Amino acid sequence: MTELIVNNVQKWLGGLQILKGASFTAERGSIVALLGASGSGKTTLLRCIAGLEQPEIGRIVIGDKTVLDGERKIGLPPEQRNIGLVFQSYALWPHRNVRDNVGYGLKLRGVPQAEIASRVQAILDRLGLGHLAERYPSQLSGGQQQRVAICRALVYEPRVLLLDEPLSNLDAKLREEARYWIRKLILDLEICAILVTHDQSEALAAADNILLLQDGRIVQQGTPQDIYSNPNSFYSADFLGANNIVKGRIQKRSGRSTVIAGNGWSLNGTVREANGLGDSDEARAVIRVEQISVSDSPAPEGIEMHLDDSIYLGDKWEYRLRRGDFAAKAHGPRQMPSGKVWARIPAESVWVFAAAAPK
Amino acid sequence: MNGRNHGRSEMKHTAVSRLSGCSALVCVTLAMSPANAQDASLIDAAKKEGTVTIYTSTDAAQAQALLDAFTAKYGIKIAYNDVGTNGAYNQVISESAAGQVTADVVWTSAMDLQMTLVKDGYAVPFKSVEAGNIPSWANYQDTLYATTIEPIGMIYNTTALKEDRIPKTRADLIKFLQENQAELKGKVATFDPEKSGTGFLHHTNDARQTSNFWDLAKALGADGVKTYSSSGSMKETVVSGENVLAINIIGSYALDWVKETPNLGVAFGSDYTAAFSRLALISKGAPHPNAAKLFVDFTLSKEGQEALASGGLPSVREDVTSGLNIKTLNEKVGGGLKPIAVDEGLLEYMDPAKRVQFFNDWKAAIAG
Amino acid sequence: MATSHHSAAMLADAAIVDLPVPPHTARPAGDAPLFRNIAIGILALTVLAPVGLIVFQSFLSAPFFSPRAVLSLDAYAYIINDPTFYKALGTTTLFAFGMVAVAVPLGGLLAFLITRTDIRFKRLLEVLVLVPMFISSIVLAFGYTVSVGPTGFLSLAVRDLIGVVPWNIYSLAGMIAIAGLSHVPHVYLYVSSAMRNLPSDLEEAARTVGANIWRVSLDVTLPMVLPSLVFAASLNVLLGFETFGIPLVLGDPNGIMVLTTYIYKLTTLFGTPTYQLMAVVAMVLVLITLPLVWMQRRLLRNARRYAALGGKGSRVSSLKLGRSGQVIALSIIGLWLFVSVVLPIGGITVRAFVDAWGEGVNLVERLTFSNFYGMLQVPSLVRGMINTVLLSVVGGALAVGIYLLIGLAGHRNRGFSNTVLDYIVLLPRALPGLVVGLAFFWVFLFVPILTPLRPTLVSLFVAYVVVGLSYGLRLLQGTLIQVSPELEESARTTGATIGRTWWDVVIPIVRPGLAGAWALIMIIFLREYATGVYLMGAGTEVIGSLMVSLLTTGAMNTIAALALISIILTAAGLALALRLGARIHD
Repeated sequence: MTELIVNNVQKWLGGLQILKGASFTAERGSIVALLGASGSGKTTLLRCIAGLEQPEIGRIVIGDKTVLDGERKIGLPPEQRNIGLVFQSYALWPHRNVRDNVGYGLKLRGVPQAEIASRVQAILDRLGLGHLAERYPSQLSGGQQQRVAICRALVYEPRVLLLDEPLSNLDAKLREEARYWIRKLILDLEICAILVTHDQSEALAAADNILLLQDGRIVQQGTPQDIYSNPNSFYSADFLGANNIVKGRIQKRSGRSTVIAGNGWSLNGTVREANGLGDSDEARAVIRVEQISVSDSPAPEGIEMHLDDSIYLGDKWEYRLRRGDFAAKAHGPRQMPSGKVWARIPAESVWVFAAAAPK
Repeated sequence: MNGRNHGRSEMKHTAVSRLSGCSALVCVTLAMSPANAQDASLIDAAKKEGTVTIYTSTDAAQAQALLDAFTAKYGIKIAYNDVGTNGAYNQVISESAAGQVTADVVWTSAMDLQMTLVKDGYAVPFKSVEAGNIPSWANYQDTLYATTIEPIGMIYNTTALKEDRIPKTRADLIKFLQENQAELKGKVATFDPEKSGTGFLHHTNDARQTSNFWDLAKALGADGVKTYSSSGSMKETVVSGENVLAINIIGSYALDWVKETPNLGVAFGSDYTAAFSRLALISKGAPHPNAAKLFVDFTLSKEGQEALASGGLPSVREDVTSGLNIKTLNEKVGGGLKPIAVDEGLLEYMDPAKRVQFFNDWKAAIAG
Repeated sequence: MATSHHSAAMLADAAIVDLPVPPHTARPAGDAPLFRNIAIGILALTVLAPVGLIVFQSFLSAPFFSPRAVLSLDAYAYIINDPTFYKALGTTTLFAFGMVAVAVPLGGLLAFLITRTDIRFKRLLEVLVLVPMFISSIVLAFGYTVSVGPTGFLSLAVRDLIGVVPWNIYSLAGMIAIAGLSHVPHVYLYVSSAMRNLPSDLEEAARTVGANIWRVSLDVTLPMVLPSLVFAASLNVLLGFETFGIPLVLGDPNGIMVLTTYIYKLTTLFGTPTYQLMAVVAMVLVLITLPLVWMQRRLLRNARRYAALGGKGSRVSSLKLGRSGQVIALSIIGLWLFVSVVLPIGGITVRAFVDAWGEGVNLVERLTFSNFYGMLQVPSLVRGMINTVLLSVVGGALAVGIYLLIGLAGHRNRGFSNTVLDYIVLLPRALPGLVVGLAFFWVFLFVPILTPLRPTLVSLFVAYVVVGLSYGLRLLQGTLIQVSPELEESARTTGATIGRTWWDVVIPIVRPGLAGAWALIMIIFLREYATGVYLMGAGTEVIGSLMVSLLTTGAMNTIAALALISIILTAAGLALALRLGARIHD
């Protein structure tokens, strides 16, 4: 069931257009991640959904309520949108204790005192905060504050839960735990959640759907697997994963298959540039680090490269490879002596794009 | 901010009563001698000192002519400190205690404070060459000299009260206050003796000098009199018509005010007009004793008195032609001028018990 | 206080008490302890000398320099048994709290409208609302007399219209209203800076959980700025206890007396000034003030709990007032500005250009320049103007330098000396300027090495620096605290000593703030009137004290002209302040 429709939302700040027509939908019981670099407009888009910013153009529907319609001059204030928002800073009210922070939304909705108490206690218990109800925000750790913020946004069962970089203030270990339990919680509660993040691993691990934003536009959307393995632009390909980027020139072309070559090397690849490429065009290839396999004995279809160094990473080794002006990283299970090696790079993993992003 | 006290005096000892029978003014005229020659060695010594420091309560504007004339004549600079009556008193006693005497001449209208300074030994005697040209009541033991004679009178708003309605005598005034209560209610002003030394002097002087002062106070009370701490506030309220009549104000100021303020009138009692004086003394340990003497001499000289009178402060000499002198002033106020004598009677109300008694009587009388 | 107190001041206040002081932490090496202790020590001496003198004087039977003076509690006994004292105390209390009751709600409302809504003419209003703060209360009082006194031009116009004058500014209520309205900026500054510093996401969070604008204002904004409201209230109670000009002029006709005018009366009541009694009342004022200051410190310490946890403060979305909301809001502000700026300044301006006014006087016929002309004829008045400008402009700049040194001495200072500093700064605030001036007069008279300075502007300057200390220092501390610690730490780790860090990093960064602080302190020095009454002498006259002194002889024309000149100078100072980018707001 579709809980959120965002249609062609455009927003200016002064003369600068921050959102250039974002459209997507989100379903109940699923998490949509808005992923992008800083300045890509993801937080602005979230604030537009929340009603904290007013886009000039576009339409937003939450549940069955149109909360924004640029043409019909509808723009409901945040409090009438039935949403929950978890702030990056958590924005807990320092003058209220945990119970009152969480219960405030219920109080505003006229829920009887006794029911507020039981519902607040229930959600606090569920997130392991039951014993902290009397504490003030300043007496909580960062992880506890984050969970209180989530409780506060969820307790009144909003149609859409918006999360603005909710994990960015947690340390690495907590973050991995949190993205797991937040996802589980949302799926259990069967609500619709929008997660803003600049961290690809967070998006990949937590979301059902990822919207990749660039410069105020959604440049690609899809499932995590889809968006990771089928990028439709250099930006998408480069934004996700750990990548090798190499510049060269198109040598041969037949349909999607192509050969890209540089000074002293050439590679078979696949054209992924949406508008295709011409012969002799300047081009860039993106190769995921994990797609290159290296061996110290000659391998069929492998190209001969020079291994500069092996670097120990704990669970694996990283190889620094070079051939002419083509430098690459790859991983393997063991240390190899510097010198001649053979790298196998499947043609379908060499994603070839135009040298500069088409304007 | 410190009220410029004008001192208070015991009226038993006024010059007038001592010279009963013969008008004080006439006697003074008879005693007048030709212009005194100033001692050349004093002038030389004073010029060497080069400067004279004055602590005073007189606005620079009123004294400017005197100061300019003195400096023009002798080339001696004047450091003129208008610090108010209390300021002058405070600075003199503090500086003396600190061994930092700065004032050469102390010249203020707080007759009682000036007398206190003399009694407490802050002044040195000095026989002015002009002593013979001023009334005897104006010279206290060749130490404290009266330099002006300033009548105490009333001001009124000419828009609200026409001149012909203004009472001429004390008795008339009391009657006027009693008979026009509806019109005057809350619109009569006078000094608050608690907050203003000037007011205290004027009121206590009246209490001693006239038999009907307490009748006046009761009549004021019945009109809902408002009391003020400064001449400025009273003048401003009468100018604006907020009050229509102010009583026991400093007449010398008022005579100036009416010149520049079209809707202000001034009046004096023809049967009785008290007058106070600005008193000058030379401080003990004065850094410029000769210049100080020269300045006091000059202030009392015809030339100096002319300058003061032209600035609106009537002269104690009869031979002064600019402005008012003690004689023309007496004519102007209707012949009832009663100067407050410079003598120890001024100290009577320094006694706290007497002060408090007066305050209590005053408050009871004006309670209405 | 003053001044221009304010966001910076608020921050600084918070900074002083919020520095966590770990128990018995050794001061880190290279923290310039010598400089800090010397600077704070000199300041302590400068402040404590006059204050100590007042305390000493209060326990004597006569002026402390008199041979008759002996230790005695008589002065206390007199005050304690004087019914007039209790009456004045009661009136003062009523006056101070009444003033707060007017100033705090209005100041809070103004702060809310200007920081939180889309009210129009915002930039202009931000400046205008501060204007009443920069006019000395004695000038205010004169101005009101001419415009809304019993025969003021507005009063007469209203009386012509409805038959009566429906107000009386000579009543306690009138005084409270005038003082309250003129102290609105003091509240506005603290509350508006609190509102500005309030992270917007706290309010947004409330909106996303379902609270409307007004609910948010009530449930989040108000409680969050409550400490600043209470702080502003207590500050204004304090200012109310010290107010002198308004009761002096407006309380006089009806004999309404407050503690400051009671002190004033004590100079004449017994013929000769009774310093011991004045000192006792000054002590009473200090004793009343100290608990208030203590409460303020407590408040600020508790405010730490309210310190926002992270959060972005930048993106403040303003509330839409709508057309009728705009009209209502602008009307409220307009009316207030009319009453607290236009009426007094208009009154003074009119008075300066006429020689008569009031009942039955056509003001147009009385127009004249003679008031100014007459003033220019008197050398001491002309000198007064020159001295005032000199003291404000040059003295203001020097004062900024001094406050900066003290500010640096207290900057990120964790030592005991900082607590000392905190109390010292607040002490002069508790004393009426008149008494501070008198005490400094004695200090300059009785301390041998200082005596040559007494007849110079230096003595006035020192007194002004101390009187302006709490305001000026907070201004500077507010500026200093904005330099992020990392900037200083990086300089230190790069190898700079603390002195070099201040010189190369801190001062360059705060330089724009210094220029603004200079202009604001200039204004504070311009409007000062009570401090110089005892200190000024021939050649060191200043406008404010001249006005007080002229009041006794009735030169109202001159007073009005001087007052207008002081307003014009203040306006010039304010324009300069804005030009220099004074952080009147952060």
